[in-house]
Amino acid sequence: MRAARSGFYSGLGALRQTAAVWILAAICIVALFGPALAPFSYDRQFRDSPAAPPGGRFLLGTDEIGRDRLSRLLYATRTSLLLAPAAAAVSVGLALLLSVPLATGRAGNFNPVRSVLSVLTTVCLALPWIFLFIILRAELPLDTGPMVSILITFALMGAAGWAWPARVFSASISNMERSGWMLQARASGISRWRIALVHCWPHLRAVAIAQFLVLVPAYILAEASLGLLGLGVAEPLPSWGNLLRDLQHPDLIRANPWILMPLVLLVIVMICLEALQSQAVPAGEID
Amino acid sequence: MTAKGSGHHLKGPGNRNGSGAQRRNALARRIARSIFSLVVAVLAGGFVAAALVRYSPGFEIDENSWNPQISASTEAAIHARREYENELPRFYVRYVAAALHGDLGESDAFRVPVTDLLRERAGVTGWLIFWGVAGGMLLGGWLAWLAVWPRRPGFEASAVTVSGLLLAIPPAVLALGFFFTGAPLGLAVALAILPRVFGTMRALWRDLYGSGALLAARARGISAAALAWRYVLAPAAGRLIALVGVALVTAFGVLIPIEALCDVPGIGQLAWKAAISRDLPLLCGLALIITLAVALVAAIGELAENSQRPA
Repeated sequence: MRAARSGFYSGLGALRQTAAVWILAAICIVALFGPALAPFSYDRQFRDSPAAPPGGRFLLGTDEIGRDRLSRLLYATRTSLLLAPAAAAVSVGLALLLSVPLATGRAGNFNPVRSVLSVLTTVCLALPWIFLFIILRAELPLDTGPMVSILITFALMGAAGWAWPARVFSASISNMERSGWMLQARASGISRWRIALVHCWPHLRAVAIAQFLVLVPAYILAEASLGLLGLGVAEPLPSWGNLLRDLQHPDLIRANPWILMPLVLLVIVMICLEALQSQAVPAGEID
Repeated sequence: MTAKGSGHHLKGPGNRNGSGAQRRNALARRIARSIFSLVVAVLAGGFVAAALVRYSPGFEIDENSWNPQISASTEAAIHARREYENELPRFYVRYVAAALHGDLGESDAFRVPVTDLLRERAGVTGWLIFWGVAGGMLLGGWLAWLAVWPRRPGFEASAVTVSGLLLAIPPAVLALGFFFTGAPLGLAVALAILPRVFGTMRALWRDLYGSGALLAARARGISAAALAWRYVLAPAAGRLIALVGVALVTAFGVLIPIEALCDVPGIGQLAWKAAISRDLPLLCGLALIITLAVALVAAIGELAENSQRPA
């Protein structure tokens, strides 16, 4: 009985992961073709219909200045879903680069590069991400153009989020350095490059994919928080973060509950990403 | 290899004092290393924040100097202050020297000593962090226990779903919901921390609840509470303290948007205002304090975790 129930739940888990892949794929396709599917441009104003309810012309209504909410949601989905993985890729790439000097070298021997990187990693891990993002983002002019603000926001996330994956990679590299097969490979006279590419990279690749899957939802949430604070992607270009700013007006939510659509979409995407992540990252390594 | 092998041979009553002294020395070395790392991390944290602000575009210009109503002496004072802040290494060395005497400078934006600002707001943030971290750890631990102890896949699936759902909602949105409904914000912080500690606690409980010692004790009929205390909580203390460090960093990160959006006069809101107004002394002070608090808890957690490991 217990085995049957356990089988049922593991089947349910597999179904959850398959569903997550399909839902994410559908949302990504809609996001990619968002501009073609959107009925209007994200910044087109309909001055005769501000704050219009959902109807035939505007499926999700319009915002206070008469912009079509559905079109803005489609553009925002593209912005958030394409750039968060790009930022995560930057972080993982940077972490991979920096983890080599962090992990290599004999313990006990003073290595200035490793010492500086080690202190930087500790500082980046001790300071909350959002604090670093806010300092970095607030330093740049607030009146930047929308495209520049997008690039700045996600580039900063990518650049500031390297510390945690770097620590994970350096731990993996250190473990490999101490392993028996590495010793055997060195003793056999195999070149360092060949060891790195043929023997180490397959191990690191799995770790890199897991770290990438951890960072994507983290960056989606970080962009949402920055957007809510008004430091994310600049208007009029929409992102999930700046669309969520409407949630600061409870009266508006009560009168127009459909403004919760960006939040609903964000939660669906996050749950799907979490389902994929739980497959790639063993429990306990996510936090 | 040799050391390990010889270690096995040396085990015995006669060598216990020697191994105890070795352990004490190792612990002293660990503590010294932790203190050194802590000091370096705090100094570097403050310097990173100061450097980021100092080299931001337009920092050299002080808008106050454009005010036509200020006197020549005030303008000269503004220029002198800006020149002093522009030389980053000198500014930072003097800043740290003053900080050691409890003086974190004066906020450019609020025109109030930074220590006063921090003192005024520390209570609010302290309570939110306390309730958030304590609540998050307790709720996360309970949910993780529910996922592991009853050994029912349905319970585990429900616990994972609850945690996943909480992870999917941006903490600031969660807090706004609590704020508008008048619910305590501490609970919102706790619910934001819960999913971020749940995975680690679940893995920890699973390891400990599956241990042979616990199964044997369970077979002897020891109560669930005694089992939890002796075979789970006590051996996990070190890792739980380390997890508090993680929860603390998360709490600080979560509190910045929560306090800024829900108009809570705490340190998170201060950090946001300091960043927006590029308030160098305030940002340096905040970076020093936050890095010190987080690195201190992390160091204590690391020491506690290491002290529980077999030598």
